Order: sequence, then C-alpha cells, then structure tokens
Amino acid sequence: MKFDRRKDVNPKYLLLTFTIICVICLLLSYFAADSVTTLKYYTSKIIIPVQKGINDIGVWTDSKLENLREIEELNKENEQLKKEIAELKTSVTKYQNDLQLFASLQSLYKLDEMYPELNKTAAHVFAKDSTSWFSIFYIDKGLDDGLFEGANVMCDDGLAGIIIECTKSYSKVRAIIDDNSNISGKVMPANALCTVEGNLKTYQDGCLVLKNIDKNSKISKGNKVVTSHISDRFHPGITIGYVSDISYDSNNLTITAKITPAVNFSNISEVLVVTDPLKSIEE
Amino acid sequence: MRRAISLGLLIIINFAIQTTLTGFHVVGNITPNLMLILTMSFGLMRGRKEGMLVGFFCGFLTDCYMTSLLGPFMFLYMLIGYLNGFFHKNYMIEDVLMPLLVIIVDEIVFNTCVFLVYFLLRNRLEFLAYFKGVIIPEALSTALLTIIIYKLYVSINKHLKKMSNKTKIHRLN
Repeated sequence: MKFDRRKDVNPKYLLLTFTIICVICLLLSYFAADSVTTLKYYTSKIIIPVQKGINDIGVWTDSKLENLREIEELNKENEQLKKEIAELKTSVTKYQNDLQLFASLQSLYKLDEMYPELNKTAAHVFAKDSTSWFSIFYIDKGLDDGLFEGANVMCDDGLAGIIIECTKSYSKVRAIIDDNSNISGKVMPANALCTVEGNLKTYQDGCLVLKNIDKNSKISKGNKVVTSHISDRFHPGITIGYVSDISYDSNNLTITAKITPAVNFSNISEVLVVTDPLKSIEE
Repeated sequence: MRRAISLGLLIIINFAIQTTLTGFHVVGNITPNLMLILTMSFGLMRGRKEGMLVGFFCGFLTDCYMTSLLGPFMFLYMLIGYLNGFFHKNYMIEDVLMPLLVIIVDEIVFNTCVFLVYFLLRNRLEFLAYFKGVIIPEALSTALLTIIIYKLYVSINKHLKKMSNKTKIHRLN
C-alpha cells in the first residue's frame, strides 16, 4: 500500500527533491570532502567485486573462445591428430600465457632497473573511466600498500600518470594523456624546460602537446622528453615521450611541439607505482 | 520491491561493464554510454519518475568514481531521465525508431553539457572539433548498441510487469 501512495506524488515535486539532494551533495563534497569519502568507500565495496568478477569472466570467455577457434582449425587439417593436437594446443596456450606474463614482468623489471634510485611497487589495472572525455584508470593497490595521493605511475618505459585519489584498497590514476594533465618537463639533449599538456583532441592523433619552449633552444624531432627537476609532483628524469613535430608560436618567443608518449595507453595491464614521496621544501 | 532490486542490479552491472569490458581507449577514446541507454530506456518505458530515479543512481555511481565532486553527473543523468519520461505517452513496445532518435539527442545533449562544464570553462574553445571527434562518434556507437540492448530492456520490463500483476491478483484473491 505504501508503494501506491508514493505513486500519487507528482513527478515534478520528486524532481525538485532530487535536485535539492544533488545540490546538497555538491556543496557537501565541496566543503566537507571527508564525509563524502566514506560514502565513496562503501559504494566501492559493492562495485569493485562486480568489476573484478566481470573482468575475470571476460578473460575466461576470451580464453575459451580462443581455444575453440584453434581446435576447429586443427580439425580441418587432420582429424586423426585432433586429440593430440588439442592437448598440445592447451599446453601451448598455457606456456604462451606464462611467456606473456614473463615478458610483461621482464619489461617491468627492466623499467625498475632503469630508475634504480626509486622504490616501486607493481599493481594491476582493473577498471577505467566511464565516459569518453577523461583518461582515468583504477589500480588495485591503495593506502594499505604504501601508495599515496600524488604518487607517480609508470608503465612500459615511461611515465603513465599520477595518482589523484587514493583509498584503502584501490587508487585512481590520471593518465598523462588526460585533458587535465599538465606536467613540467624538459627536452633532453638541449635541456630546454617545457610543459607537457594532455589534450583530448591531439591524443586522437596519438600525441601530446609540448608548450612554452624557449625559441632559442635547439630541439629536433626524436628528442627525448623527461620530467624536469623543477616539478613538485613528478620525480625528475622519468621518460615521458619523444618529440614528433615542432612549430613556432605566433608570438615568436616560444615553440610548441608535439610528442609521442612512451607508454602505449591502449592496453595497460600492469603498472609500477613509485612509493618514494617527493621531497618538498617544508621538510 | 522486486522491480527496485532488479533495477539496482541492472544499474550496478551496467556500470561495471561500462568501466571494464569496454577496453581502455578502444577507438580513439570513444566508448558507448551504457548508463545513458539504461536511463533512456526506463524513462521511455516507465515514465518520468522511474527514468529520473534510474538516472539519479546511474549518475551517483558515475560521480562516486569519476569526479571529486558529488553531484554534477547525478543531476545531468536525472534530468535526462526525467525529460525522456515525457515521451512515455508515445511509447509502443514494437517501436525502435523513437528510442533511437531519443538516444542520439540525449547523447548530444549529455556530451555538450560535459563539454561546456569540463572543457569550455578551461578555455578549450574548439567546439566543432570536439563535436566531430568525440560527440558524434559516441552518439553513433551508443545508438548502435541501443538497437540491441533496448530490446532486452523491453523484455525485462514486460517480465517485471507480468510478475507484479500476478502478485496483485494473488493479493486480491
């Protein structure tokens, strides 16, 4: 009966109520961010297991489908050897998986060796953002594993992003290709300082924008761009990408360039997170 | 009650699929918006109130994960669900063209709002480039998915209706 009574409420008033709730939430999250984080924590408790489950189902069906396809092809070739080949195939896929894992771990290890002075921890990517406008992904380690807001995230052989929100069990990483991303960097042999801006429009051509380079600095295509020593958020000397296109600004004082990021963002699965805090002036 | 639980499950599953199965930057960062399809479908099939509530919770999840502020996406999804509820009068089970048109308009409105708030205010002025590069591809991919998913929602809705009718009759007896 209760439900029926609710049905009589004019939707207009319901809209008004929920709009007010929205505004209250907005104000609350702006002025009292701590109260919202607990709310976020409990929603994540519900959502993350589902996300992980779906990921597992995806991986499982993918492997099954792959197996089926492979077995069918072999059937056509030779029916007598079907059984033997199927067995071999399954073992081969297992080894391939092992090898793939080995290769990815090896590349992570290489990356670890490239920057020996930094302490790092490995993490898995388990989800991404839900719209087309932002480049944000989630990793399965958080405050409990020694991560913190502002920790640098690396992948392949370069910088992938920065942690912008860290909860107990997971963290949110903003990739360097996100439109909000803005990094202080330098072009390597010339030592020219610059800012690396993520840009949704240019990333569709696969590159980031490099701004505010001094006109007199000698940079050329293929130069390496690394994070600079004046950044207060990024450790110095981590590779960001390579210069791919150079153009002069209309003010005739600065150069704007395009760079190709060192990280392949289309399939990030394992990342390394720097656990050393950046030394700040207050310390 | 049954309806509320199944709707909640649908929202959670949709959100999880949205954030996992659609791979990271598949085609130039474009992903179809499953949450919007859900909001639109139930707004269309059930009217303003339910569209609004579904939109509200879809937006709530998006906000919890996406933005540091709680509220903007909540309001946007809610409003879209509410507005789509006005088309409930013209709703017919067999009709596929109307949801298709509505979802395309929804996508354009939704993404334009996101552009206005998150991009234009940061001095990214080239609306046309973003319109061609992000909004249109996303609208089209979402519309394509709608053709498949909408049918599924219609049958779920029909099933739920049947169930609630049965319990009502049972109660009367």
